[in-house]
Amino acid sequence: MSVDSTQAPASTAKPPDDDLRKGVRAEWLAEHPLVVLGSVLVILVLITGAIEPNYLSSSGMRNTVLLAAPLGIMAAGQTILMLTAGIDLSVAMIATAAAYVAGNQSPNGAAIAIVLGLAVGVAAGTANGIGVGVFRVNPLIMTLAMAAILLGLFTALSFTVLQGSTTVAPFIKTIGGGSFFGNLIPWNAVVWAAVAVIVIVGLRRTGLGRMLYAVGDNPVAVRLAGVRTWQVLIAAYMLAGFFAALAGILLAGRTGAVDLQLANNFLLPSVAAAVIGGTSIFGGVGTYSGTILGALILSVLNSMLTFLDAGQAVQQIIYGAIVLALAWLYARVTQAE
Amino acid sequence: MTALTTRPRATADWRTWVRRRGWTVGVWLLLAVLIIWYANLIPRFGAFQLASITKNSLPLVYLSIAQAVIVIGGGIDLSVGAMLVLTNALAAQTMDGQSFAVTLVIAVAIIIGAAVVNGSVGWIINVSKVPDIVVTLATSFMLSGFALVVLPSPGGGTSDGFRAVFTGSTSGSGSNYWASVAMLLLPMLLVAIFLKRSKTGLSIYATGSDRNAAYLSGIRTGWAKIVAYAIGGAFGAMAGLATVAITGSGESRFSTGANATLRSVAAIVLGGIALTGGTGSVVGAAAAGIILFTLSPILSAMGIDPNTAQVIQGSLIVIVMMIAGLVELRRQRAQ
Repeated sequence: MSVDSTQAPASTAKPPDDDLRKGVRAEWLAEHPLVVLGSVLVILVLITGAIEPNYLSSSGMRNTVLLAAPLGIMAAGQTILMLTAGIDLSVAMIATAAAYVAGNQSPNGAAIAIVLGLAVGVAAGTANGIGVGVFRVNPLIMTLAMAAILLGLFTALSFTVLQGSTTVAPFIKTIGGGSFFGNLIPWNAVVWAAVAVIVIVGLRRTGLGRMLYAVGDNPVAVRLAGVRTWQVLIAAYMLAGFFAALAGILLAGRTGAVDLQLANNFLLPSVAAAVIGGTSIFGGVGTYSGTILGALILSVLNSMLTFLDAGQAVQQIIYGAIVLALAWLYARVTQAE
Repeated sequence: MTALTTRPRATADWRTWVRRRGWTVGVWLLLAVLIIWYANLIPRFGAFQLASITKNSLPLVYLSIAQAVIVIGGGIDLSVGAMLVLTNALAAQTMDGQSFAVTLVIAVAIIIGAAVVNGSVGWIINVSKVPDIVVTLATSFMLSGFALVVLPSPGGGTSDGFRAVFTGSTSGSGSNYWASVAMLLLPMLLVAIFLKRSKTGLSIYATGSDRNAAYLSGIRTGWAKIVAYAIGGAFGAMAGLATVAITGSGESRFSTGANATLRSVAAIVLGGIALTGGTGSVVGAAAAGIILFTLSPILSAMGIDPNTAQVIQGSLIVIVMMIAGLVELRRQRAQ
């Protein structure tokens, strides 16, 4: 704001139509933030390619998508919740828990393993939803506590019931880490694409989708209009739990093994992906297409930092700085008037 | 405490008092009950156990105060834990083998430095208009990255005198609880008085309550946010310094910071501070910080293994918050 006002006197000296054109361009960008995100993604890919030329190949792209898919699916849940002005800090633990159960049930066949793993996610998500929707517990607290509960529970269980369940069924390995079509398209990208279609269409076309936006935008008005807000919230947290579990199972398939640290590193990126993609943490604003680009950007960024071979410390600093810069850029672009 | 704040007047006044301070007093009472319970659970409860509780809860209490000030000002800081880790690493690295006087100077420098850094984070939030949660999420990565640069592997140390400042004993464990009680209460009261009595402190409350209204009534809301974040940074640094005094070394672990941040958020909500800002007191938050810490020794005294204890802790927080939510809901309906 202050920057605009200091520049105002200088710009009045220019011919008016030049000014107008500039305004129109800024407005167009503000209405199409995905173009900005897409350009950022392309630029990052090119920079990474400049650092490591091998990256600009079909296998490089395949790896990027392979890495981005679990993050993107987890961030789908985060996007849905942020639309309702909520957040889920238990996604990483839900993912780990689901992976554990899937690993434990793998001897009984992949189908049972996947279904039970997903059931864990839905159960934890529903519990979150009841806490937030019915009892009005703050989402931060509710999901934090859920993460603590799950961590304690599964640490205890990993010594007893779930002991030794560290590998997953071959089918899960294929779906989580394998590729098809001449080793070009990862299977988990197919799952991600399905999730993307469901979420994008669901948010736009279904009643629940519109309700998620409405609840986040103005919960009081929505309640006064006769909507049972708590049901919408429970549905939203349930979906987030489901997506987190799905991401966890895919992740277990990719790494081939399960441990309690499996999805730890995904919690903050899942929030960051949605935020970079333009979903407002205050609810009511955002799209899943933005989050997809956000997840891809973060995944390219990860590859870039790995190629730089800078060590974990410098990687974290650069990662944080770029996330901040991207969020700032997005705010600048969309707030341009 | 109560003698100072109770005003013996009409019933209406008494009700106002309960509504305003009830939660804070309740949290301290809960803490007292927990400690008495703990004292009866273990065979011997003496000065050593009391010193151990006050001393070991210091880092979480400082982080709760840090988070409290920032949340009261309408923000939230997901990097307080990372600040703890960074200052812990810095202190352990620079204080190793130094004399008491030098370590004190280093400590003051670290506190001021942390205040400046976090104050600039507040400034970035003001300028960029990016939500607090996102900015501090990003800076939490950066701070813990810097911690790894400063101290790549666990180690370092501090002077014996500096350990005594926070723990009351040069070895970091002993029966003298006065030092840690003073280090717990004095900073807390200082911040509480600053927030409730000074102009800037009140402007932090006003900004957190309604930023636009505060701005329109002439309050420098931007400055209030920067001050709140600076205080938060200083207390994050206090937590890091207390950690180096207690453990006698430093460690740069990302998960330590993340967990500490999460506990600080839980503590302030338990302490009666609404995450929407503008209400609550650091006094309640500090008590809640001690409670959250004390739960672990209590549960282990009951013979519950740490993992189950974690499940119970999480469930307890949820149950308390659910009850608080129901009470709030009934109050809203009554109005």
